[in-house]
Amino acid sequence: MKRYALRRVALTVPTLFFVSVIVFVMMRMMPGDVAMRMVEGHAYAPTLEALRKDLGLDRPMYVQYVDWIGGIVTRGDFGRSYWTRQPIIEEFLHRFPVTLELALLTILVSVVIGVTVGIVAAARQDTVADYTGRVLAILALSVPYFGLAVLVVVLPSIWFRWTPVWTYVPFTTDPLENLKIMAVPALVFGVTRAGPIMRIMRSALLDVLRQEYIRTAWSKGLSERRVILRHALKNALIPVISLVGLQMPLYIGGSVIIEAIFRLPGVGLFFFEALGKLDYPVVQSVNLIIAAMVVGLNLMIDLSYAFLDPRIRYQ
Amino acid sequence: MATTAVGIASRVEMAAPPARRWYIDVWVQMVLRKPLGTLGAVIVLVMLTAAVLADVIAPYAYAETSLTERFVAMNARHWLGTDQLGRDLLTRLIYGARISLYVGFGAVAVGSVLATLLGVLSAYFGGRVDLWTQRGVDAWMAFPPLLLLMSIMSLLGPSAWNITLVLGAAFGIQNSRIIRAVALSIKELTYVESARALGSGHARIAVGHILPNVLPTIIVVATTGLSTVILTEASLSFLGLGVPPPYPTWGGMLSLAGLDHMYQAPWLAIWPAVALSLAVFGFNMLGDALRDLLDPRLKGG
Repeated sequence: MKRYALRRVALTVPTLFFVSVIVFVMMRMMPGDVAMRMVEGHAYAPTLEALRKDLGLDRPMYVQYVDWIGGIVTRGDFGRSYWTRQPIIEEFLHRFPVTLELALLTILVSVVIGVTVGIVAAARQDTVADYTGRVLAILALSVPYFGLAVLVVVLPSIWFRWTPVWTYVPFTTDPLENLKIMAVPALVFGVTRAGPIMRIMRSALLDVLRQEYIRTAWSKGLSERRVILRHALKNALIPVISLVGLQMPLYIGGSVIIEAIFRLPGVGLFFFEALGKLDYPVVQSVNLIIAAMVVGLNLMIDLSYAFLDPRIRYQ
Repeated sequence: MATTAVGIASRVEMAAPPARRWYIDVWVQMVLRKPLGTLGAVIVLVMLTAAVLADVIAPYAYAETSLTERFVAMNARHWLGTDQLGRDLLTRLIYGARISLYVGFGAVAVGSVLATLLGVLSAYFGGRVDLWTQRGVDAWMAFPPLLLLMSIMSLLGPSAWNITLVLGAAFGIQNSRIIRAVALSIKELTYVESARALGSGHARIAVGHILPNVLPTIIVVATTGLSTVILTEASLSFLGLGVPPPYPTWGGMLSLAGLDHMYQAPWLAIWPAVALSLAVFGFNMLGDALRDLLDPRLKGG
């Protein structure tokens, strides 16, 4: 166990290194005309040379890399936005709670829907309920969330004269008002993400229900509710949890579009607006921070499995 | 890994006597046993036809504007209505199918080659090569796909070529994991060992012995991946980072920038969303059915 944990932690070092290399290389692919537009369209620097110097592109590659990583590791210096001239990390931390709240609410919606429908479908295998659930899951998989989001914004405003609230209220100011604003985006995004969860819940529960200890539970005369919810569900939930963990990048990536459509001032909107303004220092740092967070999250998930589930053994 | 190896072994044995051509058999089985898969195949076929014959069947030219017929809802001349420039929506949907499929198939082709190369090499050479390649793949998968693709597309500039290559690279790196897992288990089978004992070189073993047995997995990965690629292309075009106008794409027609027009003309949002959902549904069902028929090991859900 201890050896596994150590090994798993050690493996994140090369992964984080590659994460930084990907971001670094990505920024160096910038073709000349993008730099030109940054100078001419947004006046980020007086001349092309000045911009290249400011971005540190005039020095040898390895010096650029070491300097950049060194600044992050030793001083927590992620650079400044060209647009606001503010430190990027401050803006990121200021906006992160919005994205985190959206992600958590989305996960809540998709897990509640996915697990409930999945349990019903598995418990009533090959009945109308099962088929309905499976068809719904396929539909949820097929409808693109941004299409659904656009329809949810557009159609009610035409039919019922209802428009989403565009002014954001932080949770700490007015929790109720905040939840009202977040509910629709979280529902739209959550519903489209419930499909895979429902499918994996159903197949995992079907697997567990065929096991011996479940037969024992039945033969003790326990009620169906007790057998499924108390005995089977615990084990069947493991793949569901790992799916949610694996899909974290999707939840965060999707938040860019959802935040852009519903005008939620989170990290996604920050990133999207930075792209529009060719504010590449922001683009670079947001990519790096989020990828590093995902690496950390995956590490925690893997380690917690090893602690929680004694059946999981690694060599 | 033990169960996978057994699964592979049985599949390889089943595939070994070339009694019936499997690629014909699969379609027969599909029609007989997989109604949803068949429905998916029909949708994909309709889309393919629309894409190939777009110039013939589309009632108008895709960039043909008509200022007297802006925001038409539905009429005999414009079955699905027109947009803010009076362009015919049905025409643009038909041409949009072309872009979706070009980019989708192109990216999946590029990606499958890359995934096979990365996966087979990483598995075959093992050891350090494998360790470092896989940490690279780990790092790539830590990025939310949309974030990374948006950044790269913004830097490279929107174009059909760029988006195909970028989506292909992303698809390839991500799926090299699956190919690697299969190649790993095939590598341990005795017939590979005997090929090596007979003096076959690396290239011969990798191409002649491992590759043919990875092929069904590649097909499954490619078909199930098509819907994701099409959806990602649509999301990028939706954000204005995909195929640039005036060429119509489904994501671009739904676009964030055009949101204001949709309050006047909701069909501008509805039809592209329906087309996209149908396409994704079709490819998903076809992919799922093919997976069940080709690769019993991956069955479930």
